[in-house]
Amino acid sequence: MPNPAWTASGGAPAQSEGGNKAVQQFFAILKDSYREAVDGFVIYVMLGLSAVLIAIAASMSFTPVPPEDAFSAIVPQFNLIVPDKGRSSAISLEDRNTFKASDVETAGGGYKLRLTVTATTERSREFDPVEAAGGKSDRPKGDSFRSAVARWSAVTGETVRVDEKGKVNKNKGAKGIDVAVPTQFTVAEQRAVTDGQMEEFLKSQFVMHADMSATVTRSKSGEEPVYAFDVTTTGGSAVKGWPHATKLFFGAATLADNAPLGGTLWLIEDVVISRFGGTFTLLIGMIITSFFIPNMLRKGSVDLLISKPVSRSKLLVFKYIGGLTFMFLVTAFTVGGIWFVLAVRSGFWDPSFLVAIPVLTFTFAILYALSTLTATFTRSAIAAMLISIGFAFFLFVFGQIKAASDSDKVEHPNSEPSFLQTYVVDLGHDALPRTRELDQLVRRAISSGTLTPSARKLLIRTEDTPSLAGTFGMSLFHIAWMLGVSCWWFSRRDY
Amino acid sequence: MAVIETKDLWKTYGRIEALKGVSLRVEKGQIYGLLGQNGAGKTTLIKILLGIVQLTHGEASLFSAPAGDVGVRRRVGYLPEDHAFPNYHTGYSLMDFYGSLYGVSAAERAKRIPDTLEQVGIAGRMHYKIKTYSKGMKQRLGIAQALMHEPDLIILDEPTDGVDPMGRKEIRELMAVLKEKGHTIFLNSHLLGEVELICDRVAILQQGKLVREGTIAELTKTKGTFILGLISGQVFPVDAVTKLGFAVRPVPDSAGHFEIVLNDGQTIEPVMKLLTTSGLTVTHIVEKKQSLEDVFMTTVEGAEPGVDRKRRRARPVGGGE
Repeated sequence: MPNPAWTASGGAPAQSEGGNKAVQQFFAILKDSYREAVDGFVIYVMLGLSAVLIAIAASMSFTPVPPEDAFSAIVPQFNLIVPDKGRSSAISLEDRNTFKASDVETAGGGYKLRLTVTATTERSREFDPVEAAGGKSDRPKGDSFRSAVARWSAVTGETVRVDEKGKVNKNKGAKGIDVAVPTQFTVAEQRAVTDGQMEEFLKSQFVMHADMSATVTRSKSGEEPVYAFDVTTTGGSAVKGWPHATKLFFGAATLADNAPLGGTLWLIEDVVISRFGGTFTLLIGMIITSFFIPNMLRKGSVDLLISKPVSRSKLLVFKYIGGLTFMFLVTAFTVGGIWFVLAVRSGFWDPSFLVAIPVLTFTFAILYALSTLTATFTRSAIAAMLISIGFAFFLFVFGQIKAASDSDKVEHPNSEPSFLQTYVVDLGHDALPRTRELDQLVRRAISSGTLTPSARKLLIRTEDTPSLAGTFGMSLFHIAWMLGVSCWWFSRRDY
Repeated sequence: MAVIETKDLWKTYGRIEALKGVSLRVEKGQIYGLLGQNGAGKTTLIKILLGIVQLTHGEASLFSAPAGDVGVRRRVGYLPEDHAFPNYHTGYSLMDFYGSLYGVSAAERAKRIPDTLEQVGIAGRMHYKIKTYSKGMKQRLGIAQALMHEPDLIILDEPTDGVDPMGRKEIRELMAVLKEKGHTIFLNSHLLGEVELICDRVAILQQGKLVREGTIAELTKTKGTFILGLISGQVFPVDAVTKLGFAVRPVPDSAGHFEIVLNDGQTIEPVMKLLTTSGLTVTHIVEKKQSLEDVFMTTVEGAEPGVDRKRRRARPVGGGE
């Protein structure tokens, strides 16, 4: 019998069913895309490679070095100071202090230790007749530790940009790091530094260099310029700055003997997985999904689909989302799997690496929109594949050109930007999808999750942080217009 | 309310006119056959009805809704001519996929899919990948997917293509059952014998124009031609019958039979009276009837044999017939 509901109503099912039907159709097309994806061998190659990567990550071991050795490695870094109580983007080096940890013992979830700072006495600029005569003056003196604490407390003064080779570059925008020009504090200013400030400084240094919270109390033992502090830390050894011995293949190969855990994880997650792994995943994802739309548009297949009660735009958009879902699942499997095993093996459960899943999927969404557009016009999987991969390569190259152009502008602030810089590179950057900025977004997320604040200041350039609205907005605009044109063409074309 | 209605329907692909003012009407419960040579515009007409191809001019409607309306497509099942099912599906999963698109609930799909596949005779292979199916099995699957959601209108484009004679018979019987249940069937087929056996009405398209339309009886009706045979040894009085005003000619390769053609208003009565009074014994008298194939051949005789090659090449990809 013909469907009685339709016969009775003389038309399509009631409108109230429309929403449920659309959801049902959406999931049907998702399921169909899944079937199509798992039908080929490429997906199994891809999942196999992902599984190998996860297995390699699972074979890594992260062994914390003993507390005594760990603190001996951490506290010497305290000579690196970030002014303005760590809020400045500049760093300052004070190498006249010697930091030494001793009497380290376990306490609760953390450690207790004695921190000794041996500073260098600073001679007063004022003439001291006692000292001049070779005697011992009782005038108050300053020292390098008090000076360091004063420098840490103060706002940043003059800074210079030091490039990767360690040379000072006068241009503040050049690649490198900002280094504060040491501010000279008078003896009186140094003497004004209180015990509380010293304790706060050291607490801050434990956070900056080890991402470790600590309580610090000055002990009155020792005579200046030697300072002693009783320190109690929390968080154990699973903190970013704790040195670890990292080994691969269940101890068969040593990657690092005494490197901070966060730094090692950053290297693995950002450089190895996100950059190389992400590029590989995108590439394979584009190859697999480039067949989805052309297969749907094959003669004999498209007729059947169009004859179903689904609008053409919905069909295309649902199929597009099917491709994205596929990519999301593969990325989630790879990134999530690696993150999980690294977390289990290292004991460091920072979720920032997982940002790579949506961001990689979003990057793929841009490229897949172009693949969809190409496929809708040409019905060729090869054309869709080549054009989308070519476009990804073009965006990568363009991103590098833009970065070089920006550096050039900073290094030559007084020279007028060239026509190419202004009307090709800058306008192109404004108008094109911003895959490089998406990549930076992941880098920033991973570095903030793994690196200690001081390591971030040294390794990650943050002043050219792109706006999220600009990055996502422009990319979304491109996805929208490409899908819009695809839908328009698909809807008006005869099959 | 007509199930299908077209009025002065035109479709052009560039300079090619695929349909030229086609008007037809299909009523509920009919099996309607569409005949025509390759390139006559049959598939184009079907695709317009389903919204796969957009009309250039005129009107086309299904259940009084404009052709291509998304909602009304729920009431239609369609088997395209050169269907290409995704090979990654099994017969069952494909039916499940299409059923979901039609909005059939999961519970209903679980019940209907095996039943429908059983109906077309491939239930035993429903969990095998489609790439292992023969052409005939794919055709049966195509018919099943067009029926599963119990549509009011079933449009079948060459449904018996690739199906063996037994299978064809089964499909004919299936269509008869569907008709009995109240479904309307719009059938596009080259197999005129089949169309003649099952269709209520037939339309013949020639180069985009509707040239004949009517019931099978109307189309196969002849002006009045009789085949007569006499007892062995008797001579047929050709001259006498011709003098009565009838056209007479011997039937080739027959046992001395003659064909008598009646003019308008004439009956066979004067000829029979003449033969009787002449002492002749009639052993064979049959009113000659045209087959649908005769009608079709007569209709398209003299016309171009399908679409000539140049025109076929000029046709856009996917343009259908």
